[in-house]
Amino acid sequence: MSLYFIKPGMQTSIQDLGRKGQMHNGISYSGAMDPIALKVANWLVSKPLDSAVIEITLVGPVIRFEQDMFIAITGAQFELSLNNKPVFNNEIIQISNGDILSFGKLITGARAYLSISKNINVPKLFDSYSTHLTVSFGGFNGRAFKQGDRLNVLSSDINEIYTKKIPKYVNSFYAGSYMLRCTSSVETDLFTDTQKASFTSKKYSVDANSNRMGIRLKDIAMEFDKPIEITSSGLMQGSIQITPIGLPIVSSVDGQTIGGYPRIANVVTADLPILGQLKANDKVSFIFISDSQARKILINQRHILNALHE
Amino acid sequence: MNGDSAITILFNDDISEKLTQKVIGVSELIRKNLNKSLIDIIPAYQSLTISFNGELISFDKLIRDIELILSLPLPQEDYQSKTIEIPVCYEDEFSPDLESLAYYCNQTTEEVITLHTQPTYLVHMLGFLPGFLYLGGLSNSIACPRKKTPAISIPAGSVAIGGNQTGIYPVSSPGGWHIIGRTPLDLFNLESDSPFIAKPLDKVRFTAISRAEFLAIRQSTL
Repeated sequence: MSLYFIKPGMQTSIQDLGRKGQMHNGISYSGAMDPIALKVANWLVSKPLDSAVIEITLVGPVIRFEQDMFIAITGAQFELSLNNKPVFNNEIIQISNGDILSFGKLITGARAYLSISKNINVPKLFDSYSTHLTVSFGGFNGRAFKQGDRLNVLSSDINEIYTKKIPKYVNSFYAGSYMLRCTSSVETDLFTDTQKASFTSKKYSVDANSNRMGIRLKDIAMEFDKPIEITSSGLMQGSIQITPIGLPIVSSVDGQTIGGYPRIANVVTADLPILGQLKANDKVSFIFISDSQARKILINQRHILNALHE
Repeated sequence: MNGDSAITILFNDDISEKLTQKVIGVSELIRKNLNKSLIDIIPAYQSLTISFNGELISFDKLIRDIELILSLPLPQEDYQSKTIEIPVCYEDEFSPDLESLAYYCNQTTEEVITLHTQPTYLVHMLGFLPGFLYLGGLSNSIACPRKKTPAISIPAGSVAIGGNQTGIYPVSSPGGWHIIGRTPLDLFNLESDSPFIAKPLDKVRFTAISRAEFLAIRQSTL
């Protein structure tokens, strides 16, 4: 009753939708960086959409299944093979005891999600199974998988499976170049019009030092005549902080709960899943939209995802 | 606004115990009143950040509710603040930056330890890392700008000074503060019913202990 990690991959960890309601204690959400791909993976294997899954980053694992089950892989596309025969994303894959699943070359995106029809047996902490990788707690022993790890699974009542096709409107193609929509943040008005114009006029490359705490961008967004001094305050996912030398950092799932750099804008909630698919040298640019537009976009996206519940 | 799913209320008053009482008071009221539409509420020195579930409450309704709450008198019952003694070993093994900080501040290491253990510090808020306490009350005589290049890994329990703040790293983490000692206590303990050592408005005092006492406390908490 387990999954055996022949190779662990670069950063393979257990994630669900994260632990909310603990930011006042300094605990950020963690959870899948691409929550849409997580939900679709769970939907394919007929599990509750918020179930814990395995998040796979840039270099995927090789896993031997020691139990019959169904699985589905969503998000980033890798060259996948099951016992050396190709298998594909966004489909239900039937697994027999002893099967070996290998993640090969990464094709698009950065993070894939592997959902299994069995239940993943890890402790629930603050109402979540997610691994907080920067603080080392939650999930599988508070860390990413290592070679030779065995993840125990528990039986579930999913014994048969229906063929499902992902609705067309759920995007799973990652072009590597994105326009991220954003709205104003706490310090937006402390930036000059010239600085804001400079921020939105540029195309930025993603830095290889990006991780689950934040996406770092390599290009200078603006110049400062004098630094913007602020008092630290609550930092939300998607906050675009500008460091004193003008580099943007977009806060993500494992980010700090309180931050001290001024925020020029926040990426809209509907676009946060894209952060999970960014990898080094991908390109991003930013566009300001109004709060009411952001809400319309979010409601529309939720409406689409709610269709998966039916 | 703080993006499309949160708002931040900024308070104009100076950072003080009185302001922190107000921020925490408002935070409790909002927590009681918003119930399920509230996802997270983060008090900070001069602000309160509220993230909300846009499916359960409209933005306009949220603003109206919060304005109403802000107009209410704050509950008079004061939070019974605790004073927490935090033992710190300032000996060489745990204080790689004590000497350089003392040199910068033009003090002896003994004077730094005395100045660090004298005040009663106020917990303004928790944040940054799980269980990290933002403390107010550091003596200006031992304030010291952060390091230009952060250390890659600072051990859990390290007591440090960065700018005009002092704090304790609850878990091992990179960091740019000057490490002047280490506490044997756990600031973030998932095994405990109360995983966090303190809450906002609690008071903290540091007491100097020897390496032997440090090890004894460490043993007893295992």
